[in-house]
This record gives sequence, structure tokens and C-alpha cells, in this order.
Amino acid sequence: MSVVETGRPTTPQEDADWSTSQVVLTNLRAIGGRAYPRITGLMREKSWVFFEILLPLLATSAFVFVYRALQAPAQYIGFVVIGGAMVAFWLNVIWMMASQLWWEKSQGNLELYFAAPMSIMSVLFGMAVGGMVMSSSRAVVVLAVASVVYDVQFAVDQWALLLAVFFLTLAALYGLGMMLASLFVMWGREAFHLTQLLTEPIYFVSGLNFPVARLGILGSLALGTIPLAVGLDAMRQLAFATAAFPVGTPEPAVEALILVAMTIVFLGAARLMLATMERLARKEGRLSVRWQ
Amino acid sequence: MTTTGGLEAPVWGGFDPARAERDRSGRWPAFLTSVRLGWQVEANWTDPFLFFIYSVAKPLSATLILVVMIDIISGGGAGPYRAFVVVGTALWSIVLSGLSGLAWTILDDRERYRMLKYVYVSPSDFLMHLVGRSIARLAVGVMGAIITIIIGVLLLGVPISLEKVDVPLLLADIVGGLWVILAIGTVLGAVSLQTRQESWQYPEAMAGALFLISGAVFPLSVLPAPLQAVGLAGPLTWWIEGFRHAVFPGGPSGVGGPGSVWEGVTGTAAPEPAIIVGALLATGALVTLAAIGVFRVSERRAKERGLLDQTTGS
Repeated sequence: MSVVETGRPTTPQEDADWSTSQVVLTNLRAIGGRAYPRITGLMREKSWVFFEILLPLLATSAFVFVYRALQAPAQYIGFVVIGGAMVAFWLNVIWMMASQLWWEKSQGNLELYFAAPMSIMSVLFGMAVGGMVMSSSRAVVVLAVASVVYDVQFAVDQWALLLAVFFLTLAALYGLGMMLASLFVMWGREAFHLTQLLTEPIYFVSGLNFPVARLGILGSLALGTIPLAVGLDAMRQLAFATAAFPVGTPEPAVEALILVAMTIVFLGAARLMLATMERLARKEGRLSVRWQ
Repeated sequence: MTTTGGLEAPVWGGFDPARAERDRSGRWPAFLTSVRLGWQVEANWTDPFLFFIYSVAKPLSATLILVVMIDIISGGGAGPYRAFVVVGTALWSIVLSGLSGLAWTILDDRERYRMLKYVYVSPSDFLMHLVGRSIARLAVGVMGAIITIIIGVLLLGVPISLEKVDVPLLLADIVGGLWVILAIGTVLGAVSLQTRQESWQYPEAMAGALFLISGAVFPLSVLPAPLQAVGLAGPLTWWIEGFRHAVFPGGPSGVGGPGSVWEGVTGTAAPEPAIIVGALLATGALVTLAAIGVFRVSERRAKERGLLDQTTGS
């Protein structure tokens, strides 16, 4: 074993007293380190191209053909395509953000995260960055290919607002994922089943394939609580500005503000919950340990 | 010298192959144990009421998505099509759960519980164990489908009349369909043996793709002719067609209809029950043979490359 000579003897307290630059650099490294396996994994596991890009494209097509069977107006096919693209981010959030800490706990990694000298928020942010890269590839392919194949005609008047809404939706979604991550660790096995519950029921109340205004009060509740619902509704209003479809939801600018509020609330709640979880993990030595 | 109760080496010192032969009489109890274990894993994490809610929410929501889509466009005037869709989506919940059963068992046992290698070296048949474990998930899907159909009849105007149900066709169709779902699930199990932890979503992705070509929620005649042909070669198409034919005799067909490939080739508007069962058996047999072949190849490769005890993550 080698010993590093630092020139003068230091106490553990002095060693633990990091400068701001040390803290920032370590957290940046943690973000990069946690994003790295997700991005590199894209190159190493080729099967995901087939299973996570091509097959979901076909699944989206099924809903396109439902509208074709009903001889629906053309913009409804566009709604399905946007929903098919955005669902990639939702699936990533619930499977690879919300469930991830529970999964890390099952694998025995969570206690290592807590023992490492960086914020757990940095770990989750790194996961989010890697996850966004993964999901973006799927979303872009679904959006591009389906738009060409099914001849979707977008009518965008406010590009800046559309892009802002898209990025705000991602921020709110991944903020929600960070918040759920700490809850899922506490819920244990129930979390895995909850992950499955957060698919079709959420697709339904969020109006994944139809305008959420159609759901009345249920749709309004979704707009106030689920980033996918409010983001999809705003993007549809902005991407099909001239289309006639059920109205009753707020203007896109208002929905953008809802997304800002959601992002702040979810990130704040995530920070609070993770701090609580970290404290309990250190104090009780139970939450982070595998099989408990 | 102490003995080991008959487990010591033969007197002549060599390997006795007879001792390594698996006792086939033990297969059935091992299978039943796997089924029981699968059910415990699936169901004992919560109380029965919450388990029921979780099991039904997914298929019911999937149905409601399509019902709302239909109602927005038709204004509530597409009654027969709504019944077509409700039955199709209810059956699809069985496909979703059946396809994920084997794959998730492998991922669970390999990555989370880290028991797959021990299960593999145990005397029980590996594939039988996996099928047994996935039966529970399939049962949850069946339960969700039944509840969805009941809600469809009570609340969504699905006109099922018990006197008109073709019971022999229905029974043959259900048995054949469940068999086929397990066979396709076996293929996905074979894929999961080779892939990393993130393949949790693969069964759902596969089910989503099959959804397009199986006539589950729209008649195949809506699709371009080549895709219709692919759909006709798939057993799930015939399973769903058989179920619809059994519960709605004379109702809309997912296979035939005006402008369909079926009508162009056979000259008939829709297939007869005997043809449906025959097609289900023929395509199901092919899929089963292919599934067993693919699984054996995957199993051998996993053994050679040490994939049975790998853990991954990203």
C-alpha cells in the first residue's frame, strides 16, 4: 500500500473542509460520471436500436391507423406522433429515474453513493442528462419518421415558445423523476409495481393520443399535476396552431408558466426528500442497504 | 471410511452418466412450485384490494384511451367499432403480461435477486421453471382482461349476449392463444438472456409492434397489403379474431372486410371458425417451434459466455 505525502500532517476535519471549487468540481465529475454509462451504453448495446426505436415507432403507428380507420382529421395523426415522441421521455423518467435509486439499492450501490463525497442530486442530474440523450434519440426518430411516413403538416407560429415549452417539459419531467426516486426507495417492492401503474393510466389522463380537454375535470387535474399532460397540450396547441380541436385548456404561455412552477416544486421537493433520505440512511443505516 | 449416502464416485472411479440424468417425474412438482413462487412474487407485496386495483388499472386505462379516441371522432356513433376495440384492448393486456413474464423473471433473478445461476444448475428444467414463474403474470393479465370486458359490457355498451357465445370456439381459442403468448414470451426470454438490465421495456415494445399487425384495435384492411400479409401470418391475429367471432358471431371481422387481403385471396368476407382455429394452430405451432429453438440457442450462448450470472446497469 502506498502512502501519499502531503508535506504536513492534517486532521480528518481539515481534509473534510473542502473549498468551493473542490465541491463544484467533484459534483460536476459526478454528473459526468453518472451520465457516462447511459451515453456509452447506447453504443455498446445495439439491441436497443431495434427494441427502443423501431418497435415504439410501430406502436405509435398503431394509433395512427386507429384514427385512419375512423377517418379522423389529419391533425389528430399529428397529435399521436407528438405523443409517441414524448412518451419516450416519460418512460425514461419512470424506469430510469424514479426506479433507479431503488434499483441501485437492490444492487448494493446506494450505500456507496451516500458514502461518496458528492451530492446525491448530482448523481440524479447525471442520470437525467444521460437519460435525456437516450430518450431524445428515440423521440427524434419517432417524430421525424412518423411525420414523413404519415405526412404530418405542422403549423407553428411561435417557435421560441414551442422550444421553451419542450425544454420546460423535460425539466419538469426529470424533476418529478428525481422526486419520485427518493419515494420509491422508501416504498421498496411496491415501487416496481407503481412504475407499471404509471404507464397506461398516465397516458390516459395526460391525453397522450387525444386532446386532454376532452377529459373535463380529470384533464384539468392532470394539467395541474402531470408535466406530460401540460407539456403535450401546450406543444399541440403550438405545433398545430390552425387546427380545430376540443378547447378548454389554458393558453400555451400559461401552460409554460405551469411547467415552470412544476419544475421549481418538483426540484425543491426532490432536494428535501433526498436530504431526508440521506439523513435517515446515515442515522439508521437501513434505507440504503440491500434487501432492506 | 465415511460414505456420502450413495453420492460417492463409482467404484471404477469414472463418471456415471446415469446419475446426471434428470428425473422427469420431478418436472411437474417443480413446475407447480415455480408457478406458486411466481404468484408469491407478483401478489404478496401488498393487500388483495390494492393488488386488484394495480392489476385492473392498466388494461382499463388502455381501453379508455381508445374509447375516448373513438368518441372524439365519431361523437359516440361508432357502437360496433367500440365493442371491437374494447375486446381487442382487453385481450391485449394478456399479451402484455404474458410477453413480459419470462423476460422479467430472467432479469429479476439475474440482476436483482442474483439467483439465476443457482436456478440454472438445479435439477429442475430451466425453461419449465421460467414458464412456471411467468404463469402468474399471465394470470394477472387474464384477470385484467376479464374485468375490462365486464366493465365494457356494463358501462361501455359492449353487446355480449351469453346465449350467442360459441363456447367450443371460445375454449379452443383461449387455450391456443395463451399457449402462443407463452411461446412469444419465450422468445423475449431468450433475448433477455443476452441483453443488459435495461431490457425491462423490451416486452412492452414488442407488444406495441405486434399491436399494429394483429388487428387488435382496427381491422387489418386499414393497413397496406404487405403489412396485412404479415398480420395474417401471426397467431395473435387469429387468436383475437377467434375470440371476437366466438363472442360476437357475425360482428365486424379484424381479418376480412371490404378491401382486405383476405377478401382478395379467398373471395369471402370473413374467415369461418374452422379456418380460424386451423390458422391459430398452424401459426402457433410454428411460433412454438421457433421459440424453443431460439431459447435453446440463447441458453447455450449465455452458458458459453458467462451471461447467466452477469449484472449490468447504466
